[in-house]
Amino acid sequence: MDGGMVMETNYKLTLKIERYDPDTKESWVQDYQLEAGRILRFTDLFRKINNELDPTLAWNSSCEHAQCGTCAVMVNGRPLLACELLVENAVVQFGTTVFEIAPITVAPVVRDLIVDLEQAYERVNQAKPYIIKPVENFNKGNEYQISPRDLERYVDATRCINCFCCATACLSSQKTFLGPNAVLASIVRLMDPREEAKKERLKILYSEKGIYRCHTSKACSFVCPKEIDVAHFIALAKEGRFESEEGD
Amino acid sequence: MSGIFSISSTIKCDVLIIGAGGAGLRCAAEILEKRPGTDIVAVTKVANPQKSHTQTAQGGMAAVDPKDPVDKPVYHMFDTWKGSDCSADQNVIKKIVESGWEQTVWMENHGMHLSRDENGRVSKRTFGGHTLGFGETSAFRCVFEADRTGKGIMDNVWGEALKGGTSFINQAIATELLFTGDRCTGAVIFREKEGEFVVVLAKATVLATGGDGQIFKVTTNCRQNTGDGLAIILQSGLPVMDPEAVQFHPTGIVGPGILASETLRSVGGILRNKGLEPFMERYAPKMKELAPRDLVARAIETEVREGRGILNPDHNIEHVWIDLRHLSDYIHEVQIPEVSSFFKKFINLDPKKDLCPVRPSNHYQMGGIPTNEFGEIQKNSESLISGLFAVGECASASFHGFNRLGTNSLLELVTMGKVTGEKVVNCLDAEQPGRPKNAGEKTFSLFSGFMKQRGRDNLGQIREEMRILMTEKVGVFRTEEGISQALETLKELKERADKAALSSNSLIMNQDLIQRWELNNLLVVSMVTAQGALNRRESRGGHFREDFPERKDQFNHHTLAYMTEFGDVKLGERPIDMSIYEEKGEHYEKFGMIERKY
Ligand SMILES: Cc1cc2nc3c(=O)[nH]c(=O)nc-3n(C[C@H](O)[C@H](O)[C@H](O)COP(=O)(O)OP(=O)(O)OC[C@H]3O[C@@H](n4cnc5c(N)ncnc54)[C@H](O)[C@@H]3O)c2cc1C
Ligand code: SF4
Ligand code: SF4
Repeated sequence: MDGGMVMETNYKLTLKIERYDPDTKESWVQDYQLEAGRILRFTDLFRKINNELDPTLAWNSSCEHAQCGTCAVMVNGRPLLACELLVENAVVQFGTTVFEIAPITVAPVVRDLIVDLEQAYERVNQAKPYIIKPVENFNKGNEYQISPRDLERYVDATRCINCFCCATACLSSQKTFLGPNAVLASIVRLMDPREEAKKERLKILYSEKGIYRCHTSKACSFVCPKEIDVAHFIALAKEGRFESEEGD
Repeated sequence: MSGIFSISSTIKCDVLIIGAGGAGLRCAAEILEKRPGTDIVAVTKVANPQKSHTQTAQGGMAAVDPKDPVDKPVYHMFDTWKGSDCSADQNVIKKIVESGWEQTVWMENHGMHLSRDENGRVSKRTFGGHTLGFGETSAFRCVFEADRTGKGIMDNVWGEALKGGTSFINQAIATELLFTGDRCTGAVIFREKEGEFVVVLAKATVLATGGDGQIFKVTTNCRQNTGDGLAIILQSGLPVMDPEAVQFHPTGIVGPGILASETLRSVGGILRNKGLEPFMERYAPKMKELAPRDLVARAIETEVREGRGILNPDHNIEHVWIDLRHLSDYIHEVQIPEVSSFFKKFINLDPKKDLCPVRPSNHYQMGGIPTNEFGEIQKNSESLISGLFAVGECASASFHGFNRLGTNSLLELVTMGKVTGEKVVNCLDAEQPGRPKNAGEKTFSLFSGFMKQRGRDNLGQIREEMRILMTEKVGVFRTEEGISQALETLKELKERADKAALSSNSLIMNQDLIQRWELNNLLVVSMVTAQGALNRRESRGGHFREDFPERKDQFNHHTLAYMTEFGDVKLGERPIDMSIYEEKGEHYEKFGMIERKY
C-alpha cells in the first residue's frame, strides 16, 4: 500500500435543523445541504455550516472529545453527543443521509440547538453533587482507605459527565423526576464510604421527585454515551443496596 | 452607537472569580473553607463550570508522598527546573512541590475518587520527565483518577464551591476589568443568554480563564480557550509574561487534535512518512521514537514541510502516520485500549489494521499573566495591583518556565488555587468599592464597533487563516523571516476583521458576536506571542528558533510584553528567581544553569 493514498469519499448530506429565534420567538426547521468527508463529526458539520453557509446557526460545545457533555443534541430522535458522531457512522447507523437535528428536551431552548443547561443542572444541584458531611477520618492528614473492590462497585457512576442524554431519553424525567443523572450523583455518595449524611441523601432519593418515578425502562443506560449502566445503579438504590455486601 | 448599550444591573460581592475551571474553583473552595459565608461570584464562558477545560485532563497529577521510601521533593524540584530549561522561578517550584501531597490529601478528603492500590491507598504511576536521584530512574509520582484525573478535580472543586454557596454566572464572558487607581474593583460581564451587560463589584478579583490554544489550527485545547484573560489584562495596560513559551505535543490525532498519548510510542509505535519510511531513525538514531517531545515534534514537522506528509482531505491537514499494526493484540487490548478507542471513535480507524494520522498539536501555554508566588498580579517587576489575582493556566508564576512537565499543571492549579485563596481572604476586610463612572465604556465601544461594520468578509475564514498562520510561522519551528511575516499578516487580518459585518446584531445568544469578540482576543494574543518569539533570538524549551538553535545566557530572563494599541508591543524583562541555587543548601549545584539533555 502507498502510504500517500487516502480514501476520498464524500457524502451529500441534508441536515434539517430545528431553529428558534429568541428575538422574534419564531421556530422553524431549516434545511442545509452539504458535502462532507467521511470522518467529519457532527460538530465539524455545524462549524462548516457556520463558516460556509450560515453563521447565525447557534450550537454549543466545549472539549469536542466526549469528556464535557456540552454538545448533546437529538439526531433523528436519539439523544447523543455531536462530537462523537462521525458522518460515515451516522449514515450506517441511521440508514440515511438526511438527519433531523433538534435540541435536547431537558430545558427551554435559548436559541437553535442551545438549551438553558443552567436550568437542567438545577436538578443535579438539588441532588448535592459533593460530600455533604464527611465521616471522621481516623487517619488525620492522610487519605481515607478505600479498597479497590469497594471503589469498583460505584466507580462507573462517577464517570457521568452530565450531558443529559439519559434525562432526555427518560420518559419519566421531565417535570416530576429529578432525572437519571441527578439521582446518579446522589447514589455515588450513598455508595461512597466517606459520606456521613446518608439519611439526608436517602430523603432526596425517596422524595416526591426521587427514584420511584423511574419505570425501569432502561432508556437511560441505552443512550448513555459513556456507557454507564444508569438503570443498574437506580435498581441498586431501589433495593437499598448501597453498602458493600459479603460475597458480592 | 454605544449609546444603545447599558449596564442592566450591578452585583456587589466579596470575591469575583473570572473562570470557573479547576484553578478558579479550587481558589473559591479555599476562601469558603477559611471564611465560610464569603459572597463569591464565579463566571464561566461554558454552560456549567463542569464543562471547563480542566475536565479533559487525563494523565494525572504529580505529588511526592512523604511516606514514599525513595522519592523526595528535591528530585521533583530538580525535574521541574531541568524540564523548564532553567527558566522557572525556584521560589515557586519549591512552594508548589512541597505542598503537593497535602493538596492530594485535601482533594481525596473532599471526595475525589482517586484510583487505589491493593491497600486502599492512593495509587501512583510513572510519567515522562519525573525521576529519582536527579535523572537516574523513573519516579512513581503521579496520582490519578483512572484516565480522567482532570474530571475528578473539576467535579470535586465545583462541588465544594457549590456547597459553600458560590453564585455562578454561566455562559457569560468577562470583557473588561474595572479599576479605581491601582486597585482592581471588579469587572464588566456580558451574559450571553440574556444579552445583558452587568457590573460585578468585588473586594478581590481572580482571573482564572485558562489557556489560549485556539490561536493554533491544531490544538488539544477546548473551543473556549481563546486567551481572553490575557487580552483583558493587556487591554488594562498590564503585561503578560513569556507568551512565546508554547508547548506542542508531538502526536495530536488529525483533525480533532485530540491527544494521542506518549504511550503509543513507548509500546513500540513507529512514525512513518508518505513513503512509509520510519523517519525517526534519521533524526534520533539511538532514541528514535522515544526521543523527547520537542525533538519528535520537530522531526514530524520537518517531514511535512519537506513534502513527505500526507494530506487528510476531510480536515485539510497534512500529517504523518503512526504505525501500530505490528503490535500484539495484548498490547492493543491491555496497554493502549484508551487511545486505540480514540482513533476508532473520532476517525474511524482500527489501529490494528490501519495507519493512523498524527500531527503535532498545540497543547499548553507556559507563559501568562505574571504573578508572584501568591498569585498576586504585578504592575511591573516592583509593584502589585491590589485586589487582583491570577491563577491556573492563564497565569505564570512561573512554575513551568519554557517547558512544562506532564502532570505538573494540575498540581499547579490546586496548589496555587489554595495559596491564592489564602491571600484573597486578606482583602475581605477592605471596603466595598463603588462603581467607576466609566464602567462598560470600553466594552460598549468595542461591541458597537463590531455591530456597525458592513464589510462582506467572512469572520470564520479570518479566524481560520490566523490559526493556520500561527501554526505555520509561530509553531514548532520559528525563524526571523517567518515570524516577521506573521506579524505583518496579523495586522492585515486585524484590519479585515475590523471591517467585517456580523451576521446578526442580536445580543441574545449570538454566537457570531461572541466569536467576533474572541477573534479580537486571539489576534491580540497571537501578536504578543509572535513578538515575544521574534525578540527571543535563542531556543529554549518549547520555543525553537531554527536560526538560533541554542540556548543563550543573555536570555536568562522572562519576557514581559505590553500592548494597549494593536501591533504596538512593548517588551520588558523579569529576572528568573534562583533562590534554591543562591541559598547554597544541599544539592544546590543541580539548580544552576544546567544543560537540558536527556
Ligand atoms: C487533553 C489535555 C490533557 C491534559 N492532561 C493533563 C494532565 O494529565 N496533567 C496535568 O497536570 N495537566 C494536563 N493538562 C493541562 C491542564 O488540563 C490545564 O492546564 C488546566 O486544566 C487548566 O485549568 P484552568 O483552571 O487554569 O483553566 P480551565 O479549566 O480552562 O478553565 C478556564 C475557565 O475560564 C472560563 N473563561 C475563559 N475565558 C473567560 C471569560 N472571558 N469570561 C468568563 N469565563 C472565562 C472558562 O469557561 C473556564 O470555566 C492537559 C491538557 C489537555 C488539553
Ligand atoms: S430506567 Fe428509569 S431513569 Fe432510566 S430511563 Fe427508564 S425510567 Fe428513566
Ligand atoms: S449518565 Fe450518561 S447519559 Fe446520563 S448524563 Fe451522565 S454521561 Fe450523560
